[in-house]
Amino acid sequence: MKSLNRREFMKGTVGAAAGLTLLSQPKARAAGEKVIIGVMGLGGRGTFLAESFAQRPDVEIAYLCDPNTRRFARAREVVEETQETRPKMIQDFREILDDKSVDALINATPDHWHGLGTIMACQAGKDVYVEKPMAHNIFEGRKMIEAARKYKRVVQVGMQSRSAAYSSKAKEYIQSGKLGDIYVVRVFNMMQHPMRNKVPDQPVPEGFDYDMWCGPAPKLPYNPGRQWLNQWEYSVGPIPGDLIHQLDMSRFLMNDIPYPKTVFHAGGVNALNDGREIPDTQMVTFEYGPLTLMAESALWTPYMKKIPANIRDSDRFPDWPFCSTRVEVLGTKGFMYYGRHGGGWLAYDANGELAHSEYGRQGDKEHQDNFIDCIRTRKRPNADVEIGHKSVLLCHMANISYRVGNLKLEFNPQTERFTNCDEANTYIKRKYREPWIVPENV
Amino acid sequence: MLRKLLLSIVIAALFCRCSYSQWLEISNFKLRQESTELAGPKIIIEYDINDPNISPESPAYVFVRYSRDSGKTWQFIPMDSLRGNGFDIVGKSGHKEIVWWGTGQTSFADANQVKVRVSGIAMARVPAGKFVMKSLPGSGRDESKEITPEPNLPLFYMAKHETTISMYTDYLNELDGQSEGWNPRMTNENRCGIVRNDNGTYSVKPGRENYPVTYVSWYDAMNFLQWCGLRLPTEAEWEKALRGGFYLDGDAVKKKPNPMPERRYPWGDESPGADSVFRCNFDTEDDGFAYSAPVGSFARFASPYGICDLAGNVAEWTLDWYTTSYHAGLDGFRMVRGGSWMAVPAACDAITGATQLPLKESSIMGFRAVKGPGKSR
Repeated sequence: MKSLNRREFMKGTVGAAAGLTLLSQPKARAAGEKVIIGVMGLGGRGTFLAESFAQRPDVEIAYLCDPNTRRFARAREVVEETQETRPKMIQDFREILDDKSVDALINATPDHWHGLGTIMACQAGKDVYVEKPMAHNIFEGRKMIEAARKYKRVVQVGMQSRSAAYSSKAKEYIQSGKLGDIYVVRVFNMMQHPMRNKVPDQPVPEGFDYDMWCGPAPKLPYNPGRQWLNQWEYSVGPIPGDLIHQLDMSRFLMNDIPYPKTVFHAGGVNALNDGREIPDTQMVTFEYGPLTLMAESALWTPYMKKIPANIRDSDRFPDWPFCSTRVEVLGTKGFMYYGRHGGGWLAYDANGELAHSEYGRQGDKEHQDNFIDCIRTRKRPNADVEIGHKSVLLCHMANISYRVGNLKLEFNPQTERFTNCDEANTYIKRKYREPWIVPENV
Repeated sequence: MLRKLLLSIVIAALFCRCSYSQWLEISNFKLRQESTELAGPKIIIEYDINDPNISPESPAYVFVRYSRDSGKTWQFIPMDSLRGNGFDIVGKSGHKEIVWWGTGQTSFADANQVKVRVSGIAMARVPAGKFVMKSLPGSGRDESKEITPEPNLPLFYMAKHETTISMYTDYLNELDGQSEGWNPRMTNENRCGIVRNDNGTYSVKPGRENYPVTYVSWYDAMNFLQWCGLRLPTEAEWEKALRGGFYLDGDAVKKKPNPMPERRYPWGDESPGADSVFRCNFDTEDDGFAYSAPVGSFARFASPYGICDLAGNVAEWTLDWYTTSYHAGLDGFRMVRGGSWMAVPAACDAITGATQLPLKESSIMGFRAVKGPGKSR
């Protein structure tokens, strides 16, 4: 592993490091040249993305990075199976940012690293593919946009349904007025999570840079497993982290409606009382003037199923009543079921008769194509950072409504602050742990 | 008074499984059919197994397969239709005799078309008793499980070695030329080395016989083991096999206390490459291997039961599910244990696990066999 002089690196703030890179931003790769990518975060999703991008002839994975070295082998193996060069295995992602030959960073870390990892990459002149939910808090999302614009970076958010062809057809259908005026969109995210067994805190395992893993979040005692997903310090939450796809698709289908005026959350930790902080039941209503967006989500509904693999890329539709990740669009003339994961969509007329249907295919490859294309063309990607921000904002608003006692909150889109509850505004920005601070001025 | 009528029909050829490929060497086969007055014909199978390492603690697992159509198709002979001293767990070397009792199975119209294969695998006895299970939920483990600090397991036997390329190729060649169980990546001679020939048979690339088979899915592993009458280890069995129980001779005897029941690696707590002594095959070429190593290459550093390569070389499929549904819809993961030639040293320990989808075929994953309570034949 390359030895970084960390103390020297730390002398500069994130902002100071950025000043240098502004002057020396790499040029876009020409057609025919491989796009060089580093992957940050080697869990299941990061490994999947590393493999998917490595399979492209126009990409080379140069770095695989995770604070936990136990994760190295699985990711390295899939990359080496698909490309000739061996990626460098590192624990500190700044080595990727420091390498001028690298074009882009894939950020597939836990939620608390999405924002700062992306901002630092932009400052270092890298384009970014960042997983959803894009930001840990509202402030961070806004700063990600500012960083992307300031450093003229392509930032694609991993909301791949936007790149699926059937999604665009559904949007066209709705926007053509065939469903009439739309006043309600309802999204679902019904899952089945187990009660978590409580285990004692443990020593940090050898080969795991836990300080780096915590990064901007507090360094709480180490506890193995995915407990972090239920802790506010690290996570937007197990429901929002998945629900974001349907929320984003509802915005997409409705021509990217910008901001809701109000949010009201009902629910809490009702079923899985295992000490978690983040609700297992989240019923949320967003008011966009005449349009109401409703989210029904829970972690204790075993009869609800995500669209199975054998339907995702086939000419088949899911079992809609039990489809846990569907979107319903209710208009004055008709109704639509839309299924994530390539579930396709069905439109019904005012008499309840099937008016149109489209089978679906997942959009992962198209989303990755779009990212690589944008790296070359410098265009805005399908799930640009600003789109990502406005979608994940819904998750943050819902969580904040819950955290202030399930109050109905009013939101000012200009300031991105709540207008009727001071306490709610305390959740707009997190407290950062030095030196991993998202600055006001990126 | 029963009167045996000896027909003494010598039936076709028996097949030897040679020890270099990790089948135990079996020799001096004799096979004959005898009729009995009331119970129908029986088959007498005789053979010698003379491996000096065979003992009650290190027995052979012997299974028998037969073909009624000159080797076109093969079937496993259920253990409960065999009698004698030479099948299932065999704890002593020497001359063996098996009597195969059957009805329709042992009556052959044309005895010349009958073929029988006897195969043996070196096993280690893991006696019943308590042990330390340290792989707590998390780090990819099944969080729905209740794991007690001192779980208890009944007696089981585990293969001393990971399943080799040669063993797996023998299995493929018995599948009547079907490509099920094989994929083209297996031809990679650095990482596996099984070639599918034009005539539908399979060959091992020379020199690769004794390396662990890789690019096998969980289903491939299960199919091979069912072919043998065995199964994959559970995570608990795997961990006990590595660390040993509190008593290495079991809780019923308790004469051999385990000096290190909480050991981190099969040999103790030293890191795999500590003091430039390489105790297993991990992510360094200093251990002598750029990729996987022939099974048993680090036999000096075997587990307390003499089981080799639990640390490193290839990670090993287990029977256990990973059912935490944090990514609901992606259920069905299986647990993999043991690190690999591509893993950092710390990942070769007793507690590190990884999740893999059961269809995954990887150059760093193989498997080994277990004979124990549960799903084996």
